[in-house]
Amino acid sequence: MSDVKKIKVEICLGTTCYVLGSFRLSSLEEQLPPNLKDRVEVVGCACLEVCHDRNYGNAPFVRIGERIVDNATVEKVIEVLQEMVAAGGSNE
Amino acid sequence: MAENDVFVEMECFQLCHDGEEVCGDDFLFERLEGENRHLAVLSDGLGSGIKANLLACMTTTMALEFIRSDMDVMLSAETIMDTLPVCEVRKISYATFTVFDLQIGGKSRIIEMDNPPFIHLRNGKDLKVSRQAMTSERWPDRRVQLSEIYAVAGDRLIVFSDGVAQAGLGQPGKYKFGWRREGALEFIQETIAADPAISARDLSQKVVYAARSRNKDNRCIDDISCMVIYLRKPRKLLLLTGPPFRAESDAAYADLVRNFDGKVILSGGTTANIVSRELQRPIDVDMKLVMKAGSLPPPARMQGVDLVTEGILTLTDVTQRLEADTPLDTPVPLVSKEMIELFRQSDEIELVVGTKVNEAHQDPSLPVDLEIRRNIVRRLKNVLETKYRKRVLMRFF
Repeated sequence: MSDVKKIKVEICLGTTCYVLGSFRLSSLEEQLPPNLKDRVEVVGCACLEVCHDRNYGNAPFVRIGERIVDNATVEKVIEVLQEMVAAGGSNE
Repeated sequence: MAENDVFVEMECFQLCHDGEEVCGDDFLFERLEGENRHLAVLSDGLGSGIKANLLACMTTTMALEFIRSDMDVMLSAETIMDTLPVCEVRKISYATFTVFDLQIGGKSRIIEMDNPPFIHLRNGKDLKVSRQAMTSERWPDRRVQLSEIYAVAGDRLIVFSDGVAQAGLGQPGKYKFGWRREGALEFIQETIAADPAISARDLSQKVVYAARSRNKDNRCIDDISCMVIYLRKPRKLLLLTGPPFRAESDAAYADLVRNFDGKVILSGGTTANIVSRELQRPIDVDMKLVMKAGSLPPPARMQGVDLVTEGILTLTDVTQRLEADTPLDTPVPLVSKEMIELFRQSDEIELVVGTKVNEAHQDPSLPVDLEIRRNIVRRLKNVLETKYRKRVLMRFF
């Protein structure tokens, strides 16, 4: 499976996201279910710059591939990842 | 080297006599920017503890005041001796002092009374200083010495209390009569030979710890102080925080980083993103560090930049820690530790503040109050100047 492109998960560590709990997502990598472990790459991000954009909900934000997830929690991120993998593991 | 290219780093490191809460030696520094003058005073009060501290503090305060106003040397010394309270036990009033009045690019004066003689080092060499002795008619047993020197870039001036000179007194071997000026000088020369650009702060610490280690069981049997004044090429630091008011300025903003000769800190997610985009240098944020980073987002990395941090929370935390007279009882976040260390190592700090406001920070539903960037940077500038004697420049972008 190593040649499959991994889905990139970027956790925003900017001010707004951090004070609204993005640091709790630091345990995401350990909490990934077995079927996602090798499919996902979790990284930090200085700022996703969406907190001042009204098209999105509330911080904390996570970017999964190209998709922005608001009010992000470990459970919510895993849910989105499962949907993506089920839909063919596309990075889009 | 032009006068402006010399920074006078003045530091003093101290350890208290074992069992005492305060140090019986005191020091004061003052920078008179307009006159290109730097003043420094070290005093050792008789005995140790509060009484000694009081004598020493009175002495440094008076000496600094007198030297600043160019009062006659003998009159100043007599006034200090007349003013100090008399010790109940020893029936004398006493505190030693060394006063430096440095004129960069001109003649400097040093006034000494009973401290171990100061050391003037140039390229590691102990320069011979000629001293003019003066005695007071009213205090015939006290000897005040005046010397005049020309200090140039690269020079170091070092003075210590007798806690250094008498370290190891009574111990068998080489230092049975104490470390003395010779022993300390040899140690200082070796330390500089191994690290020619060692800062005043690091050198003063090394001397004090080395002195303590000469004593039996590594104890402080006296207050131990070492003051180092180092005339050096300024160590520069640039801190960028906040996005520029107009996006058209982003490229010029990032160029500040590309062209800077010194250390660089980027403080703020958007700030880091702008520089990363303009200079094509990726930001490396290690998510695994989050758990170890304490209560703030972890330090991040970028090529050619010494530290990348979150903005407002980090700057607020660092400012509070720098302002606090006693260390805050909360654990120091990793990122604050790194930023404070970079500030402390630097002489000239340029704070560039992008003035675009992030509306999301003004949301009343946020669980913490976020300071306006400009205000927190002003506070930071103030504490770096007044408490840490840094030369600080602030500008808006």
